[in-house]
Amino acid sequence: MSKHTRNDDQERSYGKLAVAGLLIASVGLLATAGVYAGLTATATGAEQVTSGSLDLTLTPDVGVGFSNFTGKMAPGDTDNVYVNLNNTGSLATAAGMTLGVAGLPLNALANGLVVGEGLTVAATQCSVAWTLVTGVCPGATTPVLATTQVSALSTPAALLNVPTLVAATGQVAHVQVSLGLVATETSTNGVAPGSTIQGLTTTLTYTFTEQQRTGVATNQ
Amino acid sequence: MTHRTTRSRAGRTAALVAVLLLGVGLVPPLANAAGVRGATTGTSSVTAGTWGVTAATTSMVFTLSLDQSSKVTDTGSVALVAQSYSVTVSTTALGSPTFRVFQCAVAWVANLCSLGLGTPVGGTLATPSTTLLTSTTALAVGAAVYLQVEPLLVLSSTTVTLSTRVTSPGQLRAPIRTNQ
Repeated sequence: MSKHTRNDDQERSYGKLAVAGLLIASVGLLATAGVYAGLTATATGAEQVTSGSLDLTLTPDVGVGFSNFTGKMAPGDTDNVYVNLNNTGSLATAAGMTLGVAGLPLNALANGLVVGEGLTVAATQCSVAWTLVTGVCPGATTPVLATTQVSALSTPAALLNVPTLVAATGQVAHVQVSLGLVATETSTNGVAPGSTIQGLTTTLTYTFTEQQRTGVATNQ
Repeated sequence: MTHRTTRSRAGRTAALVAVLLLGVGLVPPLANAAGVRGATTGTSSVTAGTWGVTAATTSMVFTLSLDQSSKVTDTGSVALVAQSYSVTVSTTALGSPTFRVFQCAVAWVANLCSLGLGTPVGGTLATPSTTLLTSTTALAVGAAVYLQVEPLLVLSSTTVTLSTRVTSPGQLRAPIRTNQ
């Protein structure tokens, strides 16, 4: 009888141990599940942003705009074209508009012998459209580029008075671009000197470049 | 619960660090891209003219006091308002002849310019000498003018050489201002 009692006690002890083990295992699993639940927590917010555009267009103001000069240019001559620079983008521009002129071929009608000779470019802005026949600005003129040798414009030069030159979106600048030729050269017996500007042809590409306005920090 | 909170903070911290690192990596490219530029181009071509005159006869040998002439033509592509002549008179074996140069708009006939004497270009040229004479006769492209060299007291062979000169911009037509 007492032997039977001892066996019952042993069985109860084993049962208690099993229950305790199951409890410990359950607590462990629950704790682990809690950790993983915390790592997958998320929060979201939505924001929409659109980038601006910076577009500069070049169109004739009056006349034909940039085109080929059909005549033969002589030293002292001036060929004027009239173009509109238009800021058609959605961003304003910053100071620092430049003009570069590349000649193809590079001679720019200069013989390379005399400093200051060759093709020159000057630019003037008019507050309104130019008058083609007379080449006169009916409004107010603003110098944009003083007379500069084309050969010096292979590196773009900063234009003057840029704040008034298509700085704001939708703004138009009426610009007269004057091409000149400077040369002192003597032909002997109808023959040009060995190094000459006479009879040379070059194609000029004018590139106006604007820079966007400085970045704006917005807090909202 | 406390354990879970600690892990969540660690996760957020890790996420924040990742975002910051990503941001550091992106900032330089964004800063570079900030300098947006707009450009527009226009093209034109231009050709320079040519200028010069050519004398049909550039060397005249005088053995007697007889006039000789030369046709001078504007062979360039630019009209002229003046042209120059470098006139060289050679040495002579005998005597001291002198020479004068006259100009006529038409060809000389029997040493006369439309029944006249023509227009003198410069003064009297001695022997020997080299003198630069300038005429202010306007010449259209392709047009010509006629020179006559008139000797005086030629006793032996003497050579007169003509060399034409045209210098820009002073001897070219007035500058043209084109608006197009």
